[in-house]
Amino acid sequence: MRTRYRVSATALAAALCWGGPALASGWAEAPSLAEQVEAGTLPPVAERLPAAPEVVGGPHGVGRYGGDLRFGLRGSSDHNHILRMVSPQGLVRWDPDYTTVIPNLAESFEANEDATVFTFTLREGMRWSDGEPFTADDILFNVNDLLLNEEFAPTPTRYQAEGEPMTVEKIDDLTVRFTFAAPYGDFLAELSSPLGQHPVLYAKHYCMQFHPDHNDDIDQLIAEFGAGDWRNLFQQQCGDIEIPSRWGNPDRPTLDPWVVTEPYTGGATRVVMERNPFFWQVDEEGNQLPYIDRLFAPIAQDVESLILQIIGGRIDYAQRHIDGPANRPVLAQNREEGDYDFFEARAVGGTNMVLNFNLTHKDPEMRALFSERDFRVALSIGMDREEIIETALLGQGEPWQGGPFRDHPNFHERRSTQYLEFDPNEANRLLDELGFERGAEGIRQMENGQPLRFTIDVIPTLYPEHVDILEMASQYWAELGVRADINPMERTFFYERTSNANDHDAAVWVGNAAWVPGEIPQQIVPVHHDSRWGIAWSRWYNTGGAQGEEPPEHVQERMRLYDLAKATVDADQRRAYMHQIADIAADQFEVLGIATAPPRFGIVQNDLRNVPDSKPSSWYYPTPGPTLPQVWWWDR
Amino acid sequence: MLLGYIFWRLVWSVPFFFAASLIAFALIQAPPGDFVTSFAATLAQSGDVVDEQRLEALRERYGLDRPFLTQYLLWISGVMRGDFGISFEWQQPVSQLIWERMGLSVALALGTLMFTWAVALPLGIYSAVRKYTVSDYVLTTVGFFGLAMPNFLLALVMMYVAVVFFGADVSGLFSEEYQRAPWSWAKFVDLLKHIWLPIAILGLSSTASLMRIMRANLLDELNKPYVTTARAKGVSEFRLLMKYPVRIALNPFVSTIGWAFPQLISGAVITAFVLSLPTAGPLLLQALLSQDMFLAGAFILLLCCLSIIGMLVSDILLAFVDPRIRYR
Repeated sequence: MRTRYRVSATALAAALCWGGPALASGWAEAPSLAEQVEAGTLPPVAERLPAAPEVVGGPHGVGRYGGDLRFGLRGSSDHNHILRMVSPQGLVRWDPDYTTVIPNLAESFEANEDATVFTFTLREGMRWSDGEPFTADDILFNVNDLLLNEEFAPTPTRYQAEGEPMTVEKIDDLTVRFTFAAPYGDFLAELSSPLGQHPVLYAKHYCMQFHPDHNDDIDQLIAEFGAGDWRNLFQQQCGDIEIPSRWGNPDRPTLDPWVVTEPYTGGATRVVMERNPFFWQVDEEGNQLPYIDRLFAPIAQDVESLILQIIGGRIDYAQRHIDGPANRPVLAQNREEGDYDFFEARAVGGTNMVLNFNLTHKDPEMRALFSERDFRVALSIGMDREEIIETALLGQGEPWQGGPFRDHPNFHERRSTQYLEFDPNEANRLLDELGFERGAEGIRQMENGQPLRFTIDVIPTLYPEHVDILEMASQYWAELGVRADINPMERTFFYERTSNANDHDAAVWVGNAAWVPGEIPQQIVPVHHDSRWGIAWSRWYNTGGAQGEEPPEHVQERMRLYDLAKATVDADQRRAYMHQIADIAADQFEVLGIATAPPRFGIVQNDLRNVPDSKPSSWYYPTPGPTLPQVWWWDR
Repeated sequence: MLLGYIFWRLVWSVPFFFAASLIAFALIQAPPGDFVTSFAATLAQSGDVVDEQRLEALRERYGLDRPFLTQYLLWISGVMRGDFGISFEWQQPVSQLIWERMGLSVALALGTLMFTWAVALPLGIYSAVRKYTVSDYVLTTVGFFGLAMPNFLLALVMMYVAVVFFGADVSGLFSEEYQRAPWSWAKFVDLLKHIWLPIAILGLSSTASLMRIMRANLLDELNKPYVTTARAKGVSEFRLLMKYPVRIALNPFVSTIGWAFPQLISGAVITAFVLSLPTAGPLLLQALLSQDMFLAGAFILLLCCLSIIGMLVSDILLAFVDPRIRYR
């Protein structure tokens, strides 16, 4: 089976048929850029665009140029907010529905049958934001000099198959070929994630001056910028995925719709980005995108002042930081004055809160307790989820153990819906059968005579409703004679105690999941530090058996299946593997969910067009990036 | 005499400085986890995911996996050479980050200090002289209100009122068009238009407490025999008040000037945070929260130096104001 995509070329042909006058006279551009062309400071638009620019659009059609888009940044570590707004411009991206991977920077791509060789064709005449051409040499620089350069940073597993790093060859200036040692069907989905932009992140002609292989006088630059070593210098000047300095250097060329003019630095009070005159997408009438002139992001130190800014109508688009249910009433109340309305940010699947018992607990007695399947079943049917949903979740959602929603092709009925029925009698019977006799104050006792009692770690600031749910659940469990203490803690401490030290009894986390390529299914197979039910197993998997603890056969089987799922290029085969994993996970019943993840929300100014009323909300589909903010426009 | 005293004070501050730097470094590291854990946790809170290998690489790059003493020695030897290291979070040299924000911090701290004194001293004197009159009661009530109200809460309320009732944004120190503009008269005027609110908010509680202290101190002095004597000799009431009792009542103010120095950085962190002021306070708080070691460490060292200098200045000033104090 060969997969081939020529999306932009066909779309362009279509545009040529309908387009008429706009295209007949060539491409159109923003008035501010036209002035610069007039003044001779910028080449004409036809020279700035690729020979065949990608044609894109939105639900409200062709727009008008102009205006600012204001969004609110938080004071520190909010660099990914900027990333979501400009979208990670990788070789490929997710389509707006989050179902298919489509070409992005690449004009087309092609995978061989067993998913070991991926060939990307670039757009002829495409340019970086400073006007230099973007070619296969940029990709070779990114991959060979940085990504596979262990001195710079360890090569992410994303670019490896069976422990072997990929190799990249240049076929010609516009064609590159990625080759893996073993099949790797998920590669394209991995490239679509915000973490998969590395092959096209850096402009060779600019960033090579910060690389010791390309600059003999690098020590001078290191001293000049006070960087310490070349790796710091490189990251300081050219940034990297997921660090703030990515938006800290206005001189760094990018392929984004807007480029930084006022950078995101430690002392900044706002970030400003202006249109990239060399951006490579057009609308169906041939107008160069983006429509909006500037992104304007004031930096608020805390979320409360961000909300005040929204109420005051000073923010045009917001979801991040403000999408908790607690903020909804105050935002709804001020809709008129602020001239904004809500949009839906729907969960991709899974549950709003998942409870992880520590099955690799350091204390053998606690481990034995949590490893009893009937104990977990008793706790699951021992709480009234309908009641919890009514009270703690304001009626939103249906009882759910986790996994994709009913309307998703990956839906797995047993994994998602078993043991949801509230049945305290059966729960008591199970606990009796396990031999936990009731002792003083009705609390059951473990075999060693200690009361049956454990703590649940939770970050109250992550999702405040988690604590409410746990309060209710622990009351139900108290009636079963099981004592659960809620242990709220600061987020860094939580990470340290659970993911690093494995010192927790139990912990809760969000369980959004659709089991799609690129997403880590951490609640059905322990392969990530958020798999808090099997941290020692996850460490074993991620270190190739060097650290952690060898998992039991049913876990290892799932790890093997997960590797197979990542390797296959066939979507149906991949789903079959994921369902086999889900079968085992359902048999083992390791983690407990509460309710289907409720949709979150965001706000958008009323006369901003082309913003979808509803969109998936996920990190792997970095909302709102794939809905293409470059086609948003002001109807004023 | 005085010069010798200053000399020895300075000599003693050197070991004190090192001890403080060691304790500061240990305290910043004391919370569980390190910068990398905190970085991952912060991203997770916004729904982002980080690669695990990437975290390990960062830990290795920043030397966070080394023993505590090694980390400290590397840092302090850099500081001795004038190299404060780079901020983990921002990848920028620490000294650049700090100086960028110091100017406005100093302006705000001095403005608040002047506001406090200009309001608190006259009102304190007035309410002492007019003890138990209606105006004294009014000032006392306002004073207690100011003491009881947390600054940051007042800031939030003022921001809410400004947005909801006046449609105005009172956060920050500059209007949008002046934020990045070079200094000019117009920018200075713009700063004045914004800075009065933070000054008033920050100054309120200290004004209230200073007013009460001034009143209490002065009440102690007003009944002393020397006041009666001076009055009997026909000194005018105003001159009498200013020349003797007020001068003595000022003593506690002068001895606390030293405290104002570290306030340049750490003053009203939460209020500055709420109001999104571009001062050093919020940067310090963020550095501590994220365990950005070198940035937080440099701030603490600076605080320490400012305290040492501040106390010295206080002691010297005290000698001028109160002739009874002599150095031995």
